[in-house]
Amino acid sequence: MFSYLIRRLLYAIPILFGVMLITFLLFFVVQPPYARARAILGEKARPAQVQQWLHDHGYDKPTYLNTKPGQHLFDSLFVNQMKRLITFDFGVSDKTSLPIAKTFKDGVIPSLCLTLPAFVIGFIMAVTLSLYQVFIRYSALDRFGVFFCVALMSIPPMIYMFVGQRVLAMQLNYFPAYGFDLRGWQTAKFLLLPVTLMIVMYLGNDVRLYRTIFLEEITQDYVRTALAKGVPQSRVLFVHVLKNGMISLITLVVAHLPFLIMGSLLLENFFGIPGLGNALIHAIQTGDAAMTNALVYLGALFYLAGLMLTDICYAFADPRIRLS
Amino acid sequence: MPSRRTPPFRACALLLLSLTATFFAGCGNDPNLKPEHEKRADGSPWQVRYSYMPDDPRSLDPQFAYDQMSRRLLEPVVDTLLEYHPFKTDPYEVMPSLLASLPERVKNPDGTETYVCKLKRGILFHNDPCFPGGKGRELTVQDVEYGWKRMVDPKVECPALSALQDYLVGFGEAYETAKKADGLDYSKPLKCFEIVDDQTFKVHLLKPYPQIIYWMAMHFMSPVAHEAVEFYDGKEHPDANGKMVLRPAFKWHPVGTGAFQLVEYEPASRARLVRNPNYHTVVFPSDGYPPDRADFLKQFAGQPVPLVDEIQVTIFREQTPIPVLFNQGYLDSMGVSKDAFNRVVTTAQELTPEYKKRGVVLEKDPDVSTFFISLNMEDPVIGSNKKLRQALSCSYDGQSYVDIFWNGVSPVAQQLMPPGIFGYDKNYQNPYSYDLDKARKLLAEAGYPGGIDSKTGRQLELNMEASANGSEERQMTEFVQKGFEQLGIKVNVVENTFAELLRKEDAGKFQILEGTGWGADYPDPENFYMLLNSRNFPPEGKNVSRYKNPEFDKLFDKMATMDNSPERLQIVNQLRDMIGEDCPQIFTFHKAFFTTINPWARRTSTNMLLEGAFKYQQVDPAMRAQLQREWNRTPKWPPFVLVLLIAGAAGYAIRLNRKRNV
Repeated sequence: MFSYLIRRLLYAIPILFGVMLITFLLFFVVQPPYARARAILGEKARPAQVQQWLHDHGYDKPTYLNTKPGQHLFDSLFVNQMKRLITFDFGVSDKTSLPIAKTFKDGVIPSLCLTLPAFVIGFIMAVTLSLYQVFIRYSALDRFGVFFCVALMSIPPMIYMFVGQRVLAMQLNYFPAYGFDLRGWQTAKFLLLPVTLMIVMYLGNDVRLYRTIFLEEITQDYVRTALAKGVPQSRVLFVHVLKNGMISLITLVVAHLPFLIMGSLLLENFFGIPGLGNALIHAIQTGDAAMTNALVYLGALFYLAGLMLTDICYAFADPRIRLS
Repeated sequence: MPSRRTPPFRACALLLLSLTATFFAGCGNDPNLKPEHEKRADGSPWQVRYSYMPDDPRSLDPQFAYDQMSRRLLEPVVDTLLEYHPFKTDPYEVMPSLLASLPERVKNPDGTETYVCKLKRGILFHNDPCFPGGKGRELTVQDVEYGWKRMVDPKVECPALSALQDYLVGFGEAYETAKKADGLDYSKPLKCFEIVDDQTFKVHLLKPYPQIIYWMAMHFMSPVAHEAVEFYDGKEHPDANGKMVLRPAFKWHPVGTGAFQLVEYEPASRARLVRNPNYHTVVFPSDGYPPDRADFLKQFAGQPVPLVDEIQVTIFREQTPIPVLFNQGYLDSMGVSKDAFNRVVTTAQELTPEYKKRGVVLEKDPDVSTFFISLNMEDPVIGSNKKLRQALSCSYDGQSYVDIFWNGVSPVAQQLMPPGIFGYDKNYQNPYSYDLDKARKLLAEAGYPGGIDSKTGRQLELNMEASANGSEERQMTEFVQKGFEQLGIKVNVVENTFAELLRKEDAGKFQILEGTGWGADYPDPENFYMLLNSRNFPPEGKNVSRYKNPEFDKLFDKMATMDNSPERLQIVNQLRDMIGEDCPQIFTFHKAFFTTINPWARRTSTNMLLEGAFKYQQVDPAMRAQLQREWNRTPKWPPFVLVLLIAGAAGYAIRLNRKRNV
């Protein structure tokens, strides 16, 4: 398993390099830093001000190699950017000049406040509802449940957010329509609606998937044996079926864990939660290359971490799997 | 044998029920933070205004910040030497703020000028840890000088430098010297700034420049405490317990003498401003009230400001919640966006009955800006053919453009200067405004009858550069394109990224550039007509049309240094007529927008050059509390329906379980 992990880590290097290269090409070649400086500093910025900004952000270097006399060959935009990302020295935001590390630190908690409860409660609810459906399988209510799940899956996330805000926050006045505060119970008030919407957004898909997994389990011999021995249906479901179905569930769920840190792009932006998703979407909208680069790079890292975690969990959860 | 254990579904149902109960626990929909205090020291209620802005500030350094968002947070925190009168807007007027009176202007025999400025006594900086004991010290002339020195510090890169270096003695020179030395020597005095005594200083100008008083109403010339710049260095320092604490950079922690102190700023989230207890610099004005609200405003005359104790500013990067929170009463005012326009304003440009019933007030806010289409005067086809430019100008239907894209709110522009600026004549009609017959005639005279080149017999083709910003911008460009094409010419629209557009603008490589504009830095004709001064070509300047007319330049130079007078008015009119005749620009509109105000927050300032005018804002908290309660009633039935549904589903499962296990 150790050699497998080392191999996976080595595979990750070209993937990360590819991500870094693509973001570099998009933000430093397609849109050169000069244009970005003009956009960020505004219409009325003087050329000297633009030059100073480029200098302050280290963008006044040649793109790939520095062939200027007396300069280091690798003192270029490309090499410096790669170096920054590899060493996690993300520098400052192009837009606000605030340290990106601080933005990341400040954004993780609000993001986790949203995604973690949504993930945990959503998982519990999806497992419960799918087991419930398996319990009442093939009844009219089960069929309605399946139909309902497909309906939930078919609705685009923006509709949930828009309708949720409109109905629950604006018409019924139960929740704040926007905002966030990380102080005591205030936080819960701001999170209830977005967390609920996040749960509902993924619930249909998860319940359908888990139901299929559990239905597969329920036809197994051990279930028939347990039922024949007089074990109650509910116990069979919640103990035997759930335990065995969990092997498949864990591998599906663990892959999502690292993404919780990165938050939710749409929900954070829509409800004004100052998390990493909001920071990323704003960085893209405002052409903040430094911030986008850093967050995309971290996103790629988390994605790779998620894949590795899945493999490891798979090996742990199912003794039949051996990673080699 | 049937089990007697509690079915797990019951536990799950209980969990769901408790989640539902939490969900509807009446957490309230008020998104605003708890105010800093409940009551003032005298026992009266602590008053809060709830405002918003659409983006984060770029910097809160007074010598650097230039964008609207930054100015909105700086204005209440950092006082300026002079400030705009909140009501006098036609023409705009400045009044003393940190200065005891308007500067005394001295004309020297050698043609130079000196402004003698006297600071008010007893003005204190905000209480802040950067000062000994955390107590704000008294403002001195040295603080003003320090602020001015920061303007020539290359590390600060003050945007005002290029405009001021032509007028302030030794200003540009100080910047160049500092640049060569890789830093400004703050111990050396500035030639333009002479300290007379602890209260008085003189400003030396190379030539007359009456606009200097407007610069004194901007933050670039505000005093700065050197302690604040030195203390807030963005680095980690040990606190009293030896623990390393990160201090914000000065540009994120402004320390001023303003009516409010910035106590909290969370990027992408909110800012909170709280009354400065040391503030007594200005009081609410007693004159200049607009007649329609004079009765209401009289009650505040001479009162100390700020009128409220706290301002909470929410940063809305997403615009959808703004009307929601305004309708719930959690925002005191709201700019009417295009999306919300039809819900709020009728075709007669009045409030819809729904909003009228709520007591909401509609205000029209004319921005001090002009938008135009730039025609390249160096282009061989357009630049050398005045009749062609005039024909294009006549083919542009300004009123339809404004009706379609700006809901008819923004006035059609007839000239470069917007309303409120000295020399603006509301009755002036541009000689080449929309008139299709005239346009066709002019085009024929230009050598293109019916849009066909009389020499080659081919259709005239022009290229129009536009930004690729989205469907609405595309529609605007198409409107202009169709207008020109009515004359029989062909207009190719070239969509550009922002970078490409800038490159073309800087290099002058375009024929027609759509969607350019200018917002006033200060309310003077010089700030607009400099856009067509030949010394002002891009990238250094903003003469995008690359208009070069020696006669215009001569008149401009004369006008720029004059005081407002009938003679100056005559020159301003000459400049206007010259531009009207030469058509280097096709004027489109002056921006204006509607703002709705909730009944408890009637407006106490009408000057759009002030960014929010927070210190003059008032509120009726009792009325707000009552209406908020009325507007935010929650129905009781939805939780019961949800509980019943869950209970029903759980009951069904329990019954089924029992049946199957019997």
